Amino acid sequence: MSDAYQPDGMDPSVPKLEVRDVTVRFAGLVALDAVGFTVEPGSVHAVIGPNGAGKSTCFNVLSGVYRATSGSVRFGDAELTALPPHRIAALGMARTFQNIALSPRLSVRDNLMLGRHRLTRAGFVSAGLRLPSARREAARHTERVEEIAAFVGLTPQLAMPVGLLPYGVQKRVELARALCMEPRLLMLDEPVAGMNGGERREMAELIIAVRESLGISILLVEHDMGMVMRLADAVTVLDFGRRIADGPPEAVQNDPEVIRAYLGATSETEEATP
Amino acid sequence: MTTFLELLVNGISIGAVYALIALGFVIIFKATEVVNFAHASLLLVGGFIVAKTHESVGFWLALLLGLAGAAAVGALIEFAVIRRANVISHSILAIVTIGVDIVLTTELTRQIGTEVLALGDPWGSEVLHLGAVNIPLARIAALVTASLVIALFLLAFKYTNWGVAMRATAEDAETAALMGVRRGRVSMGAWAVAGALAALAALFMCIFPTPGLDRTVTATAMKAFPAAILGGLDSTTGALAGGLIIGVTESLVGGYQSELVFLGRGLGDVAPFLVMIIILLIRPAGLFGTRELARV
Amino acid sequence: MSRSTILWSAALAAAALVIPFYLDASWLQDGLFAMAAAIGAIGLNLLTGATGQLSMGHAFFLAVGAFGYVYFASEPQEGGAHALGGLGLPTPLAAVLAVLLAGVAGGLFSPIAARLKGAYLGIATLALIFIGQFAMTNATPVTGGHNGRPVPPMELFGFVFADTPEAPLVIAGVPFGALERLWFLGAILLLGAGLFARGVLRGRPGRAMNTIRDHEIAAGVMGVPVSRYRAGVFVLSSMYGGLAGVLVALVFQQTVPDYFGLLLALAYLAMIIIGGLGSVAGAVIGAVFVSMLPRLLTRYSDALPLIVQPGQEGVGAAEAAQILYGLAVVVVVLFLPGGLLGLITQLRLRTGRPLPAAAPKHSLTPTPETRN
Repeated sequence: MSDAYQPDGMDPSVPKLEVRDVTVRFAGLVALDAVGFTVEPGSVHAVIGPNGAGKSTCFNVLSGVYRATSGSVRFGDAELTALPPHRIAALGMARTFQNIALSPRLSVRDNLMLGRHRLTRAGFVSAGLRLPSARREAARHTERVEEIAAFVGLTPQLAMPVGLLPYGVQKRVELARALCMEPRLLMLDEPVAGMNGGERREMAELIIAVRESLGISILLVEHDMGMVMRLADAVTVLDFGRRIADGPPEAVQNDPEVIRAYLGATSETEEATP
Repeated sequence: MTTFLELLVNGISIGAVYALIALGFVIIFKATEVVNFAHASLLLVGGFIVAKTHESVGFWLALLLGLAGAAAVGALIEFAVIRRANVISHSILAIVTIGVDIVLTTELTRQIGTEVLALGDPWGSEVLHLGAVNIPLARIAALVTASLVIALFLLAFKYTNWGVAMRATAEDAETAALMGVRRGRVSMGAWAVAGALAALAALFMCIFPTPGLDRTVTATAMKAFPAAILGGLDSTTGALAGGLIIGVTESLVGGYQSELVFLGRGLGDVAPFLVMIIILLIRPAGLFGTRELARV
Repeated sequence: MSRSTILWSAALAAAALVIPFYLDASWLQDGLFAMAAAIGAIGLNLLTGATGQLSMGHAFFLAVGAFGYVYFASEPQEGGAHALGGLGLPTPLAAVLAVLLAGVAGGLFSPIAARLKGAYLGIATLALIFIGQFAMTNATPVTGGHNGRPVPPMELFGFVFADTPEAPLVIAGVPFGALERLWFLGAILLLGAGLFARGVLRGRPGRAMNTIRDHEIAAGVMGVPVSRYRAGVFVLSSMYGGLAGVLVALVFQQTVPDYFGLLLALAYLAMIIIGGLGSVAGAVIGAVFVSMLPRLLTRYSDALPLIVQPGQEGVGAAEAAQILYGLAVVVVVLFLPGGLLGLITQLRLRTGRPLPAAAPKHSLTPTPETRN
């Protein structure tokens, strides 16, 4: 794959993500209406809005889970709207899920190793025959996975089945799995939903640490306004599938239309635990 | 031409019977998201009860007993097995119905043994002559009854409380439950209704021109599976269309067997499955099925 | 590998070595069928247990393997309407080709296997059983029709896996006939099939398969080409089915089309559920359970209530076995989610191990050398 993530010396740069006029219709219902924004390289960009505003739909279009009815999404030179999810992943875009989407019976280590899928090559034959190449590859990537687990604070749980871990820890496994893809753009879908105050703080610190140590772009969907204002360099506000504001957090916060959209929707800041 | 007409009418009649089975299969799927591989054995339960009781209580009462018996077994499977199987994966729920199927089918075919049991229906082997076209009365009875039952069922599905509750559950089980729909009752009802529909289908599958109920009936009933999936597992319209397509295909291929012999013997049995595969290649969700939209 | 695993493996290997010297032919035959079933069940467990794709058509691939081997290995026979075709290839080559043929058959089905998921695929694969029966009754020059055809014995480097009355092989006072010889072939094939599947399951493909089963969308987003994987696993499981078919043919010495029907396909599903979904050991345990059950019930029918001797009115051993494993499927799903294997591991896992201490956090650098 020519568009795969390049190793050192080639092109480790982080490209821009440009979303232009993306519209999504489901059976006559308009979920996204000509939405556009740009995620600048290395920035933290938040997408916010009341429930049903189209944030998740937007994420699903960007990661190839849904097909956009019209519009374009460009990541560097690649046009994403026509690609299946695994090809988008191959470009270095990783995401987490709002509702946990891990394999509960697999250990944390195996869940994280799945994140290495696009970076590894072993197929049925080499894995089945335990060829030296497959074993070396597995050892090398296990090492990196353990580094990432340590960074996210999951070392003690590496051997445990994910299903046995508390919710907050599973959320961190989600983040770690996405990091294991060595992404150039990290998309976080409500990373602190359902967490308590302490866990939220830890997650926020973690996101800051990711940004500082890796320098990748982060696209964030979040209800927790305090967290968005603290972390984001730019904010896009959606309401009923339309973009109603876009800009730096302070500007957006005082935008009258945003205030109107959030009036009566104050309870949205506390999402229910799934 | 008359052969063609005869085959077509026969095919539609058989198709209507397949539609009865497929309809039950689809409503179980809609209500409980279970692909019920024990469906053929429900049919066997109904047919077996009719065959064993009609001599002592008369045909109509026996039929009623058969319908009630199959409905009860259906409800029991839901209550004793499906509801208790606390698994996330629908594949595993499907496999558990395979376990139920193995038990029921083995025991009932053992009871039947090598016998061919008559069901004591009033239509016998009479044949209706419409001009040059000859159609067995039993086939007409099948067509008329199946059409009536299907129409009634669809009306009930649309307008009664039970139907609304069922469709709401199929749409969004959690919300329906919050709205006061009792999920257990809905799914048990679906299984019972599906059982009764299967028993009715058993009757029409085992009367003239079929000699009676024997151990091969479950293999015949298997053809309702392609009927259900080619129409779309979550579509009642699909079940009807699928049933008719399978019935007509089987009848025509079987009827013109001598012309088609170069393709091999027993083509009528395999044709429904070939049709299913062709349709699935073009439309993986079936003719009327909806592609589920992932919620993540 | 833990110490107990090594001990277990050593004990099993020793048992496999010793058994042919002590058990009589009929037990050996059942044991061989259990080995063949275990190979087939491992394949089905890769597909259904590990990837979540239901297949009701596994028996079809056994048939492809069995008849493929017979056709490739047999010399053609003249005989008018009863003429039998054959390529007369060396038997090891015929066996390899038969397994590949089963894989090709699985590949031909892959447009469907790749696009349908879970129970939907289950219904679609039902077609394979009916198509298989149709093909087997019509392709009489290949299959020999209803009565099947004899199976040429395997011959490896001049060593024949058959009874050789003219040159009897006696080891330690025990005459080594077809079954004793096949026993070791079967054990080696099973070992190889099991190790290969374990490698797949524990490696990169296994993680992708498990994630497709648990969360298809997450798998795609993590970079797994979901459809391609589904098709690939289907082909692999078909090849396991084909290998099981070859072994069944060699043990049976006659292949009969009726054997490869729906009941066999359902028995395979029962095996993996009862033994434990998604693992090699589970498939093997389930295969032994389901294959040996009729045998045990027949053997002890006089001592068991409700079961009659062959030929009498009542529940025969074969039927009782079927009902029992049907019930076992239901019971396992309701009460033993991990199957028999899960039960065993639970019994062994009574002692919890302490967790290692927490490591320092919040320092990560991109390491280019591991990125590709």
